[in-house]
Amino acid sequence: MKKDMANAIAVETRQVGKKFGSVTALDGIDIRVGSGEFVALMGASGSGKTTLMNILTCLDTASSGEVWLDGVNAATLDEEGRREFRARHIGLVFQQFHLIPYLNALENVMLAQHYHSVVDQPSARAALELVGMEHRLEHLPSQLSGGEQQRVCIARALVNRPPIIFADEPTGNLDEENENRVLDIFEKLHAQGHTIVMVTHNPVLGHRAERIVYLQHGRIVDAPEAISATARQTNGSRAFAMAASESARP
Amino acid sequence: MAAPDMRRVMLLRAISLRNQRVLVVFLALMVGAAIVNALASVYFDINIKMSSELRTFGANFYVGPAKGHTLPEKDFEAVLAAAPAGLIEAGSPYLYGSARSELERIALVGAQFSQLGRLAPYWQVEGDRVGVDFDDRNAMIGRTLAARLELKVDDTLTLVKDGEKRSLRIKGIIDAGDASDSLLFVSLPLAQTWLDMPHTVSHAFFSLNNRAGEVDAFAEKLQAAHPDWSVRPIRKVSANEGEVLLKIQGLMGLISIVILLLSTLCVNTSLMAIVSERKKEFALQKAIGASNRSIVRQVLLETLSIAFLATCAGCLLGFLLAQVLGQTVFSSSIGLRWAVIPITFALSVTVALAAGVVPLRRIMYIQAAAVLKGE
Ligand SMILES: Nc1ncnc2c1ncn2[C@@H]1O[C@H](COP(=O)(O)OP(=O)(O)O)[C@@H](O)[C@H]1O
Ligand SMILES: [Mg+2]
Repeated sequence: MKKDMANAIAVETRQVGKKFGSVTALDGIDIRVGSGEFVALMGASGSGKTTLMNILTCLDTASSGEVWLDGVNAATLDEEGRREFRARHIGLVFQQFHLIPYLNALENVMLAQHYHSVVDQPSARAALELVGMEHRLEHLPSQLSGGEQQRVCIARALVNRPPIIFADEPTGNLDEENENRVLDIFEKLHAQGHTIVMVTHNPVLGHRAERIVYLQHGRIVDAPEAISATARQTNGSRAFAMAASESARP
Repeated sequence: MAAPDMRRVMLLRAISLRNQRVLVVFLALMVGAAIVNALASVYFDINIKMSSELRTFGANFYVGPAKGHTLPEKDFEAVLAAAPAGLIEAGSPYLYGSARSELERIALVGAQFSQLGRLAPYWQVEGDRVGVDFDDRNAMIGRTLAARLELKVDDTLTLVKDGEKRSLRIKGIIDAGDASDSLLFVSLPLAQTWLDMPHTVSHAFFSLNNRAGEVDAFAEKLQAAHPDWSVRPIRKVSANEGEVLLKIQGLMGLISIVILLLSTLCVNTSLMAIVSERKKEFALQKAIGASNRSIVRQVLLETLSIAFLATCAGCLLGFLLAQVLGQTVFSSSIGLRWAVIPITFALSVTVALAAGVVPLRRIMYIQAAAVLKGE
């Protein structure tokens, strides 16, 4: 996670494809994410972002091609091996704020420690502090706002200090203020050396990453000029929405 | 602050914060446990009560005086002489009286020791039975009386009368479960001598072969010939009554099975609902690194904890239910039989596990990626 590992490859795919029956969700994906990099994954709805994320996080397997994570070939892992790899190497943040409803914020974070190794309350508190949730430790998810829940999810994703954090549209259900807070947190984590792969619809958020990878119909494409140009120049959210819908057009 | 045990935290939270489904599982298991517990209590109690009825098996024929308290001993011989060959299997005259030991007044009975084995086969004897009719040095004693006199096997009991003394060795202590427990058994001649009642008996018991109605015919014949006797065949739990009891027990077993099946079905349905309601939770746990085994263990622990509490409540409720059943059906209170409790627990756990097999398998097949997909 240190900067001196920046040359190491955290994630690498070689000609990864995924088919659901006759539907080709991914086709010939080649991606490299260096250790410590902050990459945004963008693309229209249905372009295969979630499918790719699921494969990169070992929640799913590729139909073809190779996936290397932290130097491990994912194909060599069975289901139990993938679970273990996920617990040890990967932090996950979802669009929906998936928390265990009957555990409070602190306990939800400690649960990830429990499945990883042992529960360590001080470091769970520290993770919640990092996302600005130190004042809501004892609250149940139902007592937290959406933004707060997502911050607990991020704390849970980083508490075991995983080499890579994957976030699939982490701000998709958040308002602009909370969106920015989440991105601030990711930037902070990035500055601390975490590798982050984040899916987003929002070009402004995408451009806060070091690099953007665009997906279209299950393939990696060069940046659609419309998006990058508009996003670089403007700051109004209406323009982003237009840009996003532009890119969503087949 | 020590790190909390996440397993325990999750168990307590899941049970205490979960919706009515837990309550349904609890109630289904509790009712199942209560009914099984009640029926098992009644079953065991009836069994024990029935076998104590059957205990009197042995002597089944009584001849005593119609008036007064005694008969001449020759009347006993007369009964033996009047019986068709092979009818009487065993018989003994009995002479009851009161005697003094060095400590206190005791009830004493003289009988023919050689016959008691067949007249009272149900006796549990500590030590040995006395085998010879004329043995006047050994005696047998009922356990209640023995306890009161603090006598053990091979101890000596001394009877006293007008400065006369007679020492008897206690050869056996009788556990009969009836009035015999308070009696001292001596040989008939000794009783007659000591009580100054020569050639006299109180009554006689016989064990007759109950061949097709022969006992009743013999009773009528004796009674006609000796109006000064009271002749009574002793009614046992008849074969019919025994059969009815067996059928009731069978019925109770059947009801238990049906109730357990219903309870299993109900718990199964609830667990299925719980699993599908908590699908996201389990998917999330898998996504953040929980193994199937740990999730299954967690749900199993939850279910068994509920089952444990439900069974505790069910045992209490079942005992009350047993009393109601006992009073209304058998007009007797039902004793608490400890054996019933482990049986109830074993059946409850079986129900919970059987009900859990399919839902728990469901958990294993949850695909985290499919369940957690956004949108
Ligand atoms: N489990 C699945 N079964 C069948 N088709 C799927 C499944 N998951 C995704 N797809 C299809 O794969 C394509 C990519 O989906 P997804 O990765 O969810 O897109 P995105 O996250 O970019 O919106 C879509 O056409 C979608 O319908
Ligand atoms: Mg998606």
